[in-house]
Amino acid sequence: MNLTQQLINGIVLGHAFALVAIGWTLLLGVARLVNFGHGQMYMLGAFVTWWAVVKAGVPYVLAVPIAMAIGALFGLVMQRVMLKATFEQNLVSIMIMTLGFGYVLHGGAALVFGSTGQILDTALSRNDITIGDLWFTWQDAAIVIAAIVVFVGLKWVLDGTRVGRLVRMVAEDPKLAMLAGVNVRRVYYGVFAFEGAAVAFAAGMVAPRTPILTSMGFEEVIMTFVVVVLGGIGSVTGSYVAGVALGLFTALFGALVSPAYTTAAAFLVLIAVLVLRPRGLSAGPAAGAH
Amino acid sequence: MSASVNVVLRVRDLRVAYAGNQAVDLKSLDVGQGEVVGVVGANGAGKSTLVNALAGWSRGAPRVTGEVALGGQRVDGRPTHERIRSGLLLVPEGRLVFGRMNVEDNLSTAFSPLAAPGRKVYTRDEIYELFPRLKERRHHLGSQLSGGERQMLGIGRALMMGPRVLLLDEPSIGLAPKLVQQVLDTMRTLARSGLSILLVEQNVRAALEVVDRLLLLERGRVVLEGPAAQVGNDPRIAQAYLGVATA
Repeated sequence: MNLTQQLINGIVLGHAFALVAIGWTLLLGVARLVNFGHGQMYMLGAFVTWWAVVKAGVPYVLAVPIAMAIGALFGLVMQRVMLKATFEQNLVSIMIMTLGFGYVLHGGAALVFGSTGQILDTALSRNDITIGDLWFTWQDAAIVIAAIVVFVGLKWVLDGTRVGRLVRMVAEDPKLAMLAGVNVRRVYYGVFAFEGAAVAFAAGMVAPRTPILTSMGFEEVIMTFVVVVLGGIGSVTGSYVAGVALGLFTALFGALVSPAYTTAAAFLVLIAVLVLRPRGLSAGPAAGAH
Repeated sequence: MSASVNVVLRVRDLRVAYAGNQAVDLKSLDVGQGEVVGVVGANGAGKSTLVNALAGWSRGAPRVTGEVALGGQRVDGRPTHERIRSGLLLVPEGRLVFGRMNVEDNLSTAFSPLAAPGRKVYTRDEIYELFPRLKERRHHLGSQLSGGERQMLGIGRALMMGPRVLLLDEPSIGLAPKLVQQVLDTMRTLARSGLSILLVEQNVRAALEVVDRLLLLERGRVVLEGPAAQVGNDPRIAQAYLGVATA
């Protein structure tokens, strides 16, 4: 067992977790919403990318934006359906609606794409990088870079731009934001479109690592949940740190103990953290969309 | 109000109900350019409900009917942010600041208001000039501000959005007498520059110093209305605040 190789695996996996979770982080931080259809939206992003590349012959670099556009569209449709519940902050309804939406996506995808497993190969995933006895693919490198770019970009937008200020206003007090002239409804739509596009982007980047199935999504939503909660609800920096930490933990646990129990172990860590630090690892007085 | 004054805010048959209970029933209200109209009344008389309804805003979910026009344009039925953008600005009672944002960010707007005759758009620097205390505190978080500073911040944010009518809900609440005086002086200055103000106030004596006209609300209805000098001494106003009004 090569420890350095496991660390590399962990870093790649961790950035993949963080990238998959970014949409939900913003969703929770700004609109205090959850999306239990998140995993199926990931699945949809993966299959749209696969369909575009394999069936339609679209280059990979164009297939990912197509998947993002479709993801954003689904996000907007979901938000349209849930708008009333969103304004009322009716979390139970939203939980059940998003869960139901996930099942609809699952069934719809099985009808359209079939239920057999597929492989999404890209020019990046076919090419390996070997350094000594260490090994990873260009796709892995791209995931790490993409995650860092997306997180830094999101942080910059939130902290340094007018749009970011509006989003932070809505995150803290949507009613007061209205009095500052913010169109809160549009911010909610924007956040859900971002969630849809971001998870589709993550799928387009991460899905080439594993075979894809229309029945997948459960593990993605669970890992996202762990990342978002560990990171401190809605904290952008916290989610990044939590994602990478969870990736390292998963890789090392899989290598040193058993790969069969990594999800269970991740949950044990989550429960332990929730008992010891109920607001997440990074939560400070300024937790929120930061 | 003399008929020659340009009416900026025109309200007709405004009714507000919470869960079927009538909270406000206002036949008619006009506020002229540069006029300061005070709304006084006992707790629960519907003062806040009234100004909130004018801005189409509430932390609850009331049913609102009636006509609200700003500069001749109907705004009832428009969402809050659109009324705000057209210059009907509410500084509500209670939560006024974003606690996790610093003063500088709190003093930013969601849109770029256009200055127009009777509509002055203040810059952040002008707000700092008006309230030097905010400038000293500009890097502090909203949650670290005192009650008076929050009030200044709320008013400052509204001024930056180019108000035509400012709806102020109890700006003096919880303030030290010296600060009350400062807020009221500010209001007078603003009115002199042409801004119309509808001021809800518990502190009648303070309100009387700045308002041109006064309305007394009781159970959501106007029971007394007139120039401040005239109605200020009406015993019903004192009664409303002593809690001995029998309606």
